[in-house]
Amino acid sequence: MTTVLRPATAAKATGQPTRQRRIQLGVRERLAPYAYIAPFFLLFFIFGLFPLLFTFYVALFDWDPIGERHYVGLANFSELVDDPRFWGALRNTFSIWLLSTVPQLLLALGMAHVLNHVRLRAATLFRMSVLVPYVTSVAATTIVFAQLFDRDYGMLNWFIGLLGFEHIDFTASVWGSHIMIATMVAWRWTGYNTLLYLASLQSVPRDLYEAAAVDGANGWKQFRHITIPALRPIIVFTVITSTIGGLQIFTEPLLANPVGGLTCGAARQCQTLTLFLYEQGFGRFSFGYGAAVGVALFVIVVIVAAINYLLVTRIRSERP
Amino acid sequence: MKRVITPAAILATAVLLVAGCTPGSNSDSGSSDSKTFEFWSFTGINQKAAVDTYTKAHPDVRVKLTEVGSTSETAQALTTALAGGKVPDLVLIQGDDLPKFMQSPENFVDLATLGADQKKGDYLDWVMKQSMTEDGKIIGIPTDVGGMAMVYRTDLFKAAGLPTDREQVSKLWPTWDALLDVGRRYVQATGKPFLDNVPTSVFFQAVNQGSERYYGPDRKLSYDKNPQVKAAFDLALKVHAAGITAKQASWSTGWTAGMGKGDFAAVSAPSWMLHAIKTNAPGTAGKWDVATIPGGSGNWGGSYLAIPKRAKNAKAAWDYIAEMQSPAGQLAHFLQQGSLPTTPSVYSDPQLLAKTDPFFSNAPIGKIYTDSVVGIKPFYIGPDDPTIGIELLNALTSVEQGKVAPDQAWSTALTNVKNALRG
Repeated sequence: MTTVLRPATAAKATGQPTRQRRIQLGVRERLAPYAYIAPFFLLFFIFGLFPLLFTFYVALFDWDPIGERHYVGLANFSELVDDPRFWGALRNTFSIWLLSTVPQLLLALGMAHVLNHVRLRAATLFRMSVLVPYVTSVAATTIVFAQLFDRDYGMLNWFIGLLGFEHIDFTASVWGSHIMIATMVAWRWTGYNTLLYLASLQSVPRDLYEAAAVDGANGWKQFRHITIPALRPIIVFTVITSTIGGLQIFTEPLLANPVGGLTCGAARQCQTLTLFLYEQGFGRFSFGYGAAVGVALFVIVVIVAAINYLLVTRIRSERP
Repeated sequence: MKRVITPAAILATAVLLVAGCTPGSNSDSGSSDSKTFEFWSFTGINQKAAVDTYTKAHPDVRVKLTEVGSTSETAQALTTALAGGKVPDLVLIQGDDLPKFMQSPENFVDLATLGADQKKGDYLDWVMKQSMTEDGKIIGIPTDVGGMAMVYRTDLFKAAGLPTDREQVSKLWPTWDALLDVGRRYVQATGKPFLDNVPTSVFFQAVNQGSERYYGPDRKLSYDKNPQVKAAFDLALKVHAAGITAKQASWSTGWTAGMGKGDFAAVSAPSWMLHAIKTNAPGTAGKWDVATIPGGSGNWGGSYLAIPKRAKNAKAAWDYIAEMQSPAGQLAHFLQQGSLPTTPSVYSDPQLLAKTDPFFSNAPIGKIYTDSVVGIKPFYIGPDDPTIGIELLNALTSVEQGKVAPDQAWSTALTNVKNALRG
């Protein structure tokens, strides 16, 4: 140790960096950033990349976690293409994603605009309370919503009955169950997105709004021409995060419709891809087939993310 | 430089992880206290009471009881543990999950080597058979069976002009067709549904009363050819057509609410369901009674205790099984908790015959339920039984929900089972 340090200390004492030291410094300086980011990449390799690659590997097998495994090549994938349950789950995933994400982001945008209003009293109270659904447990939310939507005893159907209509069996139908789950998802994430928009809005100079008001622009015009352009980057961000989250909805369909175990309903009417993956992997213990579903989901997310990226770059280049 | 490091790092990590995941690479076999063992059970069956009884009798023993979750969650946790993780010393496995584990008996201690071969005669032979391999290894010891009965609301029966005495009610429905007639009479008199639902209360009971279920005696799949399965399915469709059910799927929120409100008068209840009725509808105490199931006998459910191969303290776990699952142990557990013994020698015990339940109008549940499991014809339960059962049940639920036409139900069910058995 000391022998290594000696030349450096000697150089310091003389105040004249030697050529060797300069090279050492250069190497260290060049390596240091890698060392700083290493913890993330190390963890990413262990918990991100390795499981990902391992999933690709498992998907090539008929893999019983506690029994035998056989190499089957791409057979799991050809089974998957023929499996109506997979296509049903894909349809459900996209339908629930659209039904939850679009209204949720629009609502968040509107709420952020209102919460940013100068004349709003008790602003902090309102701003904090939109986050309450986000900190509530998903399981608790799901159970409460499932009761609200119940066919015979739910509050929603009680109102429908009061209005003189026949009760709707939400959980039994495709649309009903999708709307039910989308409501739960939107309930949970709207406040979170509202706060993101709000934070971004607060960096917009107030003068802009004042000037617009002086020029006679009404609330809608201010929203359209000041708020939206200012929020463009954050809108892009929320669209991408809620897309990735929306394609992986799991807890809500798992708990909302206990009929049929892991299928979210007798006809798999609200089984999402992640729930189908879980059913195959951990319900039936077909790790290989479950992994194949995981790979398919990965490919779908990559495709959707690529489409997102293309849209985003177009929006970015459009200057207000 | 970078190019070399990255793949090497991945490889090193991969090797580490794979080594950690491989069954048998047992690095955690360090010494442990011989009086301590770990026990995984399900929630909702109050296994703690049995453990407390045991530790009271053996103050030097420590049992680390973990209630993992539902029956299937416990099986999932066990699977992951067996595949590469810390295994418990003792685990409770639900009867329908057992066949999956029976496919790889090498993951468990052969209890015959610990003395179970001398005790296997204590248990109902058809229950014991489920946990034995063809070459005689004993993987699990049965803890309880799910004898069948019908529970009904005496107040609602009275209002409908039906008899309320359990003997007379049992005589009303010697067969499922007779039950259907009673249901029609009830609906005519009250205008309210009679049964909770068709899939669970009719199909799952009837299909469990046969001499063969989804596998033939040759242990090959026969669900699509077995006339008994089709008969149970057709019976369910017939009851559906009569319109006497509330169409509330078992365990749904509406089922729980309807039970509390008295919106249906009868439910098929295997012995383990009595506890669920008590907790779901506590306000109805004393309004229920128990009658025999149409057809007289049948079993649905039951569980087994097993010891994983890598258990640290198999001996302590076996001592627990030997004491608590002996005929006397199972009788004591029944008297305390109500789970039905699997040891026929106690079925004539005066304490068991005298056991009544005030929630169910002091019905002699010991006698009614044990009567339903003697003389049962055993059938083979295979690894795909839960999958097939769920798909058939789901098809009937879809019929109740009006999503599948009754005449399409059987073909839909068969298609769904075929799809579910792939992968």
